[in-house]
Amino acid sequence: MSLSAVQGRTSLFERIGTSQKLDAYVVGAVFLKEGLLAAALGDGQVAFINSENISPPSFVSVHDGTCLSLAVDLEEQCVLTGGDDGRLVSTDTEGKTAAIATIAGRWVEPIVVSRASGLRAAAFGKTVCLFAQDGKAVGQFDHSNTVGGLAFDPKGRRVAAAHYGGISLWWAKASTQEPKRLNWSGSHLDLTWSPDGKYIVTAMQENALHGWRVSDDVDMQMSGYPTKVKSMSWLPKGRYLATGGADSVICWPFHGKSGPMGKAPVDIGWGFESVVTVVAAHPRHDVVAAGYKDGAAILVQIDRPHPVLVKQPGEGAVTALAWSADGQHLALGTESGFVCRISLSDWRAPDN
Amino acid sequence: MTQIPVTVLTGYLGAGKTTLLNRILTEEHGKKYAVVVNEFGEVGIDNDLVVNADEEVFEMNNGCICCTVRGDLIRILGGLMKRQDKFDGILIETTGLADPAPVAQTFFVDDDVRQRTWLDSIITVVDAHHVVQRLEDSHEALEQIAFADIILLNKTDLMPADELAQVESRIRSINATAVIQHTQRCEVELDKVLGRRAFDLDRILAFEPDFLSEDDHEHDDAVKSISLRTERPLDGVSLTGWLQHLLAEQGQDLLRTKGILSIAGQDKQYVIQAVHMMMEVNYTKPWSPDEKRESRLVFIGRNIDESVLRQQFDACIA
Ligand SMILES: [Zn+2]
Ligand SMILES: [Zn+2]
Repeated sequence: MSLSAVQGRTSLFERIGTSQKLDAYVVGAVFLKEGLLAAALGDGQVAFINSENISPPSFVSVHDGTCLSLAVDLEEQCVLTGGDDGRLVSTDTEGKTAAIATIAGRWVEPIVVSRASGLRAAAFGKTVCLFAQDGKAVGQFDHSNTVGGLAFDPKGRRVAAAHYGGISLWWAKASTQEPKRLNWSGSHLDLTWSPDGKYIVTAMQENALHGWRVSDDVDMQMSGYPTKVKSMSWLPKGRYLATGGADSVICWPFHGKSGPMGKAPVDIGWGFESVVTVVAAHPRHDVVAAGYKDGAAILVQIDRPHPVLVKQPGEGAVTALAWSADGQHLALGTESGFVCRISLSDWRAPDN
Repeated sequence: MTQIPVTVLTGYLGAGKTTLLNRILTEEHGKKYAVVVNEFGEVGIDNDLVVNADEEVFEMNNGCICCTVRGDLIRILGGLMKRQDKFDGILIETTGLADPAPVAQTFFVDDDVRQRTWLDSIITVVDAHHVVQRLEDSHEALEQIAFADIILLNKTDLMPADELAQVESRIRSINATAVIQHTQRCEVELDKVLGRRAFDLDRILAFEPDFLSEDDHEHDDAVKSISLRTERPLDGVSLTGWLQHLLAEQGQDLLRTKGILSIAGQDKQYVIQAVHMMMEVNYTKPWSPDEKRESRLVFIGRNIDESVLRQQFDACIA
């Protein structure tokens, strides 16, 4: 499908969506309970947008500067944000904020939460700090370069940090330890751990992914992207890793014995004259929402060639995509502050 | 998405870099700047938006030691772009001992940086009294002069005119295209140092090799400028092929390459900018009808064999 083929088609957003103009770069979006949407913004605020759009969004000033990252906190009605003011903050839906930690002069970029172990991890520049539910600091891991990506393993017992020259693996609960280093030259900017715990994949400065099989440290190179990969998302059960960085959604197969080694990726939703900036896999089906640099968004399904148009181009690059836990709601945010949400309860993704 | 101009300030410790930075920030010009300072900055900066950078120099994954970028800058510029319309320009201060190449190369390598910003100019502040000695004992001081688009020759007061002329000629022997401004306490009209990109290209056209005084003695690591020119149109394919090959082979020695070229069959000026082996080329504005379509190509670097380059350049004439 070419771009001209979707122009003139009615998008899901036009048919069943609602939208807001928030006037600041949408850094990230997450769904909380009952379809409440939270968006972290480039002006340091967090916006809460309710499900039926019955009242205007409420805004909370959280960071003195820019929000850099967003996650659902351990308490599921709270969001956790990192900012360029050196603060890691938990904000509840009533607008109450609690600073968990502050390191002046550092940027707090990757943050991750493990419900399995009840821990949060945040990178303050080169230092990764772990915090328990009560806010107590329970670990500090130093690196010689800035940490670009962070992830827990599925049980929340280990933390992986991506940086220049490779990744470091830490035990969350060990008091003194040397990290396990897995080296691969180049700058590793983002990191994800597969839901089955078997693979770690990083996105690199050099328009490529790098992967390791955790059991034996075997390296995997996944290259061929025309631009930097800035978004990765695992399909249900970790069968595929969906990625941005190309004009279509590139999905690497991870369900075989040796992951993507020696296999070609599945390439879906091809043909747009723009680059996929964000991907978000549906929590239950082999469906991926993909947002483009030109503002368009689509839903694609593994093994089905025809995407569903979610949003026409416009309003700036898509910078955030989020599914609700039940997969009934999809939200999208752009660099110009446009936020739209779609309720998919009537739209059925065919079962696999 | 508008592109934000970036100005890089380099110079040895004590030369007056921070004085210039504060002058830019405090003068009435109605513009707001985001300032990226190094963590060993000399004194406080009076500005709303100051980011501390730790100068993380990363090698690119191509195995070449000259292909380095500032990883921290890529991240910082990306973060700053999330604050829409909060500033009109970005000033980056580097440490006195920094080689400017990784900063400059960052603007060639990273797509996001290239799309959101443009490198307006590299300004090098030097202390007129000490620069000649610095050039003898410091590799970085030499690189800072070689990379500069604008050189503030500071603390020129109390310096005899003939001595000043010698200092300037030494600087010119390294970098023939930079604009040299004589200043005291970095007092300079800001429109002479900011928003200069177009002007920098004009400097390439104005570069007169004959103006260069012969260096009185050869340096082991002599960095010099050479200029090639022709009034005959060039063949685009041969020229690009030659430059790519040349930069791949000799990029480590070629610090900067700049050119405005007339390509056969093209109405527009072909502009080339390179830092070491990273090159960017664009067709820019059309040649005006009353303009002499003269191609100029300038190399600043080490171990440059002018006659060989001239021969290869002439071979690209259409
Ligand atoms: Zn190189
Ligand atoms: Zn000498």
